[in-house]
Amino acid sequence: MNIKKSNIVFLVVISCSAIFFSSCNERLKEGTIVFTQVAGDLQDVNYITGNSWRYISESHIMALDPEKAGASPKLLTEDFFSACAPQISYDGKFMIFAAQKKQNDIWQIWEMNLENLKIRQVTSSKENCIDPAYLPDGSLVFSKFIKNDTVKTGHALFTCNRDGSEIRQITYNPHNYFASSVLQDGRILTISRQLYPDQKNGVFMVLRPDGTKQELFYQGLEGSNLNSRGWETNNGKIIFIESDKSNPQGGNLISINYSRPLHSWVNLSTGIKGDFYAVSPLQSGKLLVSYRSSDKEHYALYEFDAENKMLGKAIYKNENYNVLEAVAVEKHERPKKLPSEVDLNVKTGLLLCQNINFTEKSVDSNSSTSKAVKIEVMGIDASLGTVDVEEDGSFYLKILADIPFRIKTLNQNGEVVNGPGSWLYLRPNERRGCVGCHEDNEQVPENKEMLSVKKDPIKIPLRLKEIDNKKIH
Amino acid sequence: MKTSDKLMIFGLIFMVGLLVYFPGRKVARMHVNSKTAVDDHPLSCISCHLYTRKEEVISKMINADYYSPFNLAVSNNGTRLYVIAQDADALLVVDAENNKVLHKINVGIHPHSVILNRAGKMAYISNQWSDNVSVIDLASSKVIDTLKTGNGPAGLALSANEQFLYAVNAFSSNLSVIDLSSKKEIKRLTTGNNPTGTALSPNGKVLYVTSRRANPAPYGEPLSSDMTLVNDKTQTVMNRTSIESAYIMENVAFTPSGDLAIMTLIRPKNLIPSLQVERGWMNTHGIGIIEQKEGGRVIQLLIDEPNSYYPDPFDIVISPDGKTAFVSSSGVNVISVIDIDAVRTLMAESSPEMLKRFSNNLGISSLFVTKRIATGANPKGLALSPDGKLLYVAEQLEDKITVINTESLEIISAIDLGGPNRITVARQGRRLFNNASHTFQNQYACYSCHPDMHEDGLNYNLAAAGRNIVNVISLREIGDTPPYKWNGKNQSIYKQDGMRFSRFLTRTETFNYDDLDALVAYVKRGIKYPPNLMHNPNGELTESQLRGKALFYRSEDNLGHVIPENNRCITCHPPPYYSNLKLADVGTLAKTDDSIYFDTPHLNNIYASPPYLHDGRAETLEEIWTIYGLEDKHGYVNDMTKIQLNDLVDYLKSLRDPEFYQNNSNNQQQALYYKSN
Repeated sequence: MNIKKSNIVFLVVISCSAIFFSSCNERLKEGTIVFTQVAGDLQDVNYITGNSWRYISESHIMALDPEKAGASPKLLTEDFFSACAPQISYDGKFMIFAAQKKQNDIWQIWEMNLENLKIRQVTSSKENCIDPAYLPDGSLVFSKFIKNDTVKTGHALFTCNRDGSEIRQITYNPHNYFASSVLQDGRILTISRQLYPDQKNGVFMVLRPDGTKQELFYQGLEGSNLNSRGWETNNGKIIFIESDKSNPQGGNLISINYSRPLHSWVNLSTGIKGDFYAVSPLQSGKLLVSYRSSDKEHYALYEFDAENKMLGKAIYKNENYNVLEAVAVEKHERPKKLPSEVDLNVKTGLLLCQNINFTEKSVDSNSSTSKAVKIEVMGIDASLGTVDVEEDGSFYLKILADIPFRIKTLNQNGEVVNGPGSWLYLRPNERRGCVGCHEDNEQVPENKEMLSVKKDPIKIPLRLKEIDNKKIH
Repeated sequence: MKTSDKLMIFGLIFMVGLLVYFPGRKVARMHVNSKTAVDDHPLSCISCHLYTRKEEVISKMINADYYSPFNLAVSNNGTRLYVIAQDADALLVVDAENNKVLHKINVGIHPHSVILNRAGKMAYISNQWSDNVSVIDLASSKVIDTLKTGNGPAGLALSANEQFLYAVNAFSSNLSVIDLSSKKEIKRLTTGNNPTGTALSPNGKVLYVTSRRANPAPYGEPLSSDMTLVNDKTQTVMNRTSIESAYIMENVAFTPSGDLAIMTLIRPKNLIPSLQVERGWMNTHGIGIIEQKEGGRVIQLLIDEPNSYYPDPFDIVISPDGKTAFVSSSGVNVISVIDIDAVRTLMAESSPEMLKRFSNNLGISSLFVTKRIATGANPKGLALSPDGKLLYVAEQLEDKITVINTESLEIISAIDLGGPNRITVARQGRRLFNNASHTFQNQYACYSCHPDMHEDGLNYNLAAAGRNIVNVISLREIGDTPPYKWNGKNQSIYKQDGMRFSRFLTRTETFNYDDLDALVAYVKRGIKYPPNLMHNPNGELTESQLRGKALFYRSEDNLGHVIPENNRCITCHPPPYYSNLKLADVGTLAKTDDSIYFDTPHLNNIYASPPYLHDGRAETLEEIWTIYGLEDKHGYVNDMTKIQLNDLVDYLKSLRDPEFYQNNSNNQQQALYYKSN
C-alpha cells in the first residue's frame, strides 16, 4: 500500500514538473525579439496597394532570444502561409499580427498569448485586415481594405475589441492608411496617402482612437517616402524609415521630435552605407533596426544607438532570409486613454474656421479678388454647397458626419482664392476648429470672438434637410 | 461548550455577518455611486469620510505642515538663501554652501516675496494675508519692524536711493510707497488689476508693476492687461502699457543693460469656443518683451511647442551677462532656458506683422528656447547667485530648493528644507491641482483657470460654439456648497472632476480613483484663502455694512409692503455659506443660454471674485441690480435708494469665511431658521 502511495506521489510530481517545464519552454520571456522573416529577395514594394510592404507573402514571425548567442530563432506562425507586422501588448504578454492561413486566404488579425503561444483569430473579415496595433484601452486599431466605390477604394482605419467585436471604421478620407502605432498622448500615428483625385506621397497623420481630430503630423520633402511604421521612443522622439529621391528603394533612419514634428527632422543614419527597412525602440533607449549594407545582402537585425548615431553589432542575420519589422517582448508604458466625443446617435459634426483669409504666406486680402468671401464645400462626387463667410472671414458649419469633403475659398466673383485643401471628415458629434486656410500648422487661433458663432451653424450638404439634429446643441 | 454549540454560534455569527455585509455593501455601493456618478469607484469609506473631515483633531492627524517654498533671495556673497516658506509663515535662512537650513524666522501670514537691500543686511518680506511687510535684520535674524501696506502685498522693490519701499498690493490693485525713514506708507498708486510682480529698471528710473487679472471688459471684447510704469523719482504713474490678449503676468525682469523688460504671461483662448485642445485652442503661454527705448515695441512670444505646452509660467530671472533668461513653468515642473540674443535677433529681423504672428506661433520657441530642465513639483520663485553661475529654484510642492549649474544647465543638487517626508492625500491633491499632466499635451492645469485656487476673472465658451458662456467660479469654500457647475448638474466634486471633466475639459485620460480622491480631498479641505482684511478685518461691521445687512435680511420694502419670501436676499443666500444650495431663476438667462436654472452661488468672500452672474456680465456687484436686475427677479431691490444699494453692496463685500458665521450664534440661529424653512 505504501509503495503504491509513494509511486502515485512520484508520478504526480513528475507530471507536474513536466507540465511546468514544458510550459516554461513554451512562453516567450521578456527581452525576446520577435520579427517578420521572409525568404529570398524582397519583391519591389508597392506603397499604394501595400503589396510586398504591408502584405508580405510567405512571411513568418520568428522569436529570438538575444541572450542565447548563436541560437536559431523559433518559428511562431507555422500554421500560416504568411504572417507579419507583430506588435506587443503594453503588458508584454500578447502579440498581435496580420496573417493569412493559406495562400489565397483573406488577411486577418490574430493574437498570440505569449505565455503559452496559443493563437486566436481576432477578425473574420471579408476584406483584408492588416497592420494591427494595441490601443491604450485594450482594443485594437488596424487597416482594412474597403471598396465602397472606385474612388474610395483603399485601406481605412478600423477599431475593434480584442475579441473582434465592435468593429468600427474611424477614417473616411479617400486615403490609404497603413502601419499605425500609438503615441504616448494616446493618439494613433499612421501613414496616410491621398488616393483621390490624385495620388500623393505618404505623410504621418495623427488622430484620436475614435477617428476625431485627424491632422498632419509630419510630411517629408518632395520625393521622399515613408517606408516604415513610426514609433515614439521614451525620450520624445519619433523614429521611422524614409527614402528620398536619391535612394527611393533604400531607407534612411529618421528621427523627429514629438514636440515639433514638422521642423525637427534628423537623419540618424547619415554616413552609414546601406539602407534600413524598419525600426522599433527598446526600453533601454536603443533601437532595433532591419539593416543591410548593400542591396546584394538581405536585411538583418541590428541594434542602433540613436544617441551617438551608431549602428551596433548584428543581433541576427541569415543568408537566406530578410529580417524585417522586429519588436521586443517587453512591458512598455501604456499611452493615455483618450475619452471619445463621438456620439453615434448624432448625424453631424461641427467645423469652425476663424478666418479663411488667414493663410500661411500673408493676409493680403485687401483687393477684391484676393479676398475670399465664400467657401465651397466639395464632396467626392459633387459640391456639397457654397456659403458666404462672415465679415471677419469666419464660418461655422454643421456637416454630415463620416463623409469626406474639401474646402476651397472663393472671391466675390466666384473665383478660387485658395484650395481646395486636404480632405477632411468629421465624426458624429465631433467639434473641430481651424485658424485659417492653408495656414501654418503651428499657428494657434487669435483670442477673438468670431461673428459666425453668434449664429446657428450652416448645414452641409445644403440640400440635405434631414441632418438637423437637436442633440448637436 | 459542546462542539456543536460552538459551531452553531459560529454559524449564527457568520449568518448575521452575511446579512449585514451584503445589504450593507449594497447600500454603500448605491451611496458611492450616487456621490461619484460612476459605478466602479472603490468602496473606500475613508476617501470621503476621513480625508475630507473638518474637525481639527482629525485634520491634524491626516495632514502635515509643509513649508511650501514660494520665492527666494540670495545674499550678496552667495552663501545664504532666504526662502519664503509660505505655508509655515516663515523665512528660512539657508546655508547655500552646506545645503542646510540655519534659521526659521516667523513672519506674517502667507508671506509672498523677499528682497534684500543693496548692502545685504536687511530683508523685506511681504505678508500677503497680514497686509504688512516684515523687516528683518539679517545679522541677528530678527524681525525688527512691521510696515503696514495695502491689501495683499506681493512683489517688493526698493527705490534707487533705497529710501522707499514699494509693495505691490495684489488684492487692492495698487502700490504702496513706504518711506523707510518714517516707516509710513506715504502714497498709494493705482496699478493694473491684481498686480504681483515688480522690478526697477537698471538705471533706477522706472518701476514696472505687472498685473495678473485682465482689465474688466464685457465678454467678446478684446482682452488686455496693464503693465504699470512708475517714475521712481516722483513716485507717480508714468504710463499704463496695455498688453493685448494676455493676462497672469506674474513677474517681470530687466536685462542688466536695461534694453528689455521681460515678463511671464498667459495668452488664454477664452473668447473662442473650446472645440478642441489640439493646436493651442485652450491656452498658450509665453513671455512679453518691452523694448526700453523711445517708441519701443511690445511683443509677445510663446514658449510652448506645437505638441507640448509649458503652462503657468511664474518667475523670470536674467543672467548677469544679459544673455540668458530662465522661466519657471510651474504647471509642468520645467525651467525653460531662453537665449536673449536670439530674441533680440528675432526682433531686429521681423516686421511688425511677423511679430504679431509670432505671438500665436507654437514653433517660434525653437528659435530662442535652448533647453528645458525638469524640476521637482511646482517650481515657483527663481534666484541667481551673484556671479550667475547657480540658479536656485523654489519647488513649492516638493519642499526643496533645486540648484542648477547655469553653464551645464544640469541640476547639481537639491536642498531639502526639512518639511515632512510623507506626502499626505491633500498634498497629493494639491500637486495634481497644480500640474497640467492631466490635460491633453499638458496645456493647462486646474490652477491655470483657478490661480491661487480662486478664479481668473474670465468667462469661457466651454459648451457649443457661442452658447452657454460661463464665468469661472472661485474654489474658495466650494467643498460644502453642492451642486456644482452653474447649471448644478454635478452633485459632487467627484462627478465634477471625474469622467465628464476628462471628456469636456481636459480631453485626456481621466484621473484614476486614487488621484480623484486626493484632488477632491484637497478641493474640499485643503484650499486656504486670505482673510477679508479689505472689507471686514475684525468681524465688526461699519455703519454702512450694518444698514446693508438689515436690507439683506429685510422682509418688507421701503413702503412697508411684505416682500414675498422667495424674493428676499436671505431666502436664497442664508449663512454660513450664503447659499441655500438650490437652483433658481433670477431672470438672467441669456439668449445664448440653454433653458436652465442656475445654481445659487455661495457669497463668502464675494468681494474678491468679480465679474458676477453666471456669465460674468456684471462687472461689479452693483450692476447685478442696476443693469441686470431691473425686473426684481434677483431679489426685490428696485425700491432701494442709491445709498441703500451702496449699503447692501458694502455688506455683501464684508462677507467672510463660513466658519466665522458658523461660530457666531446669531448667525447660526438664522442659518438654522432658514434651513428649516
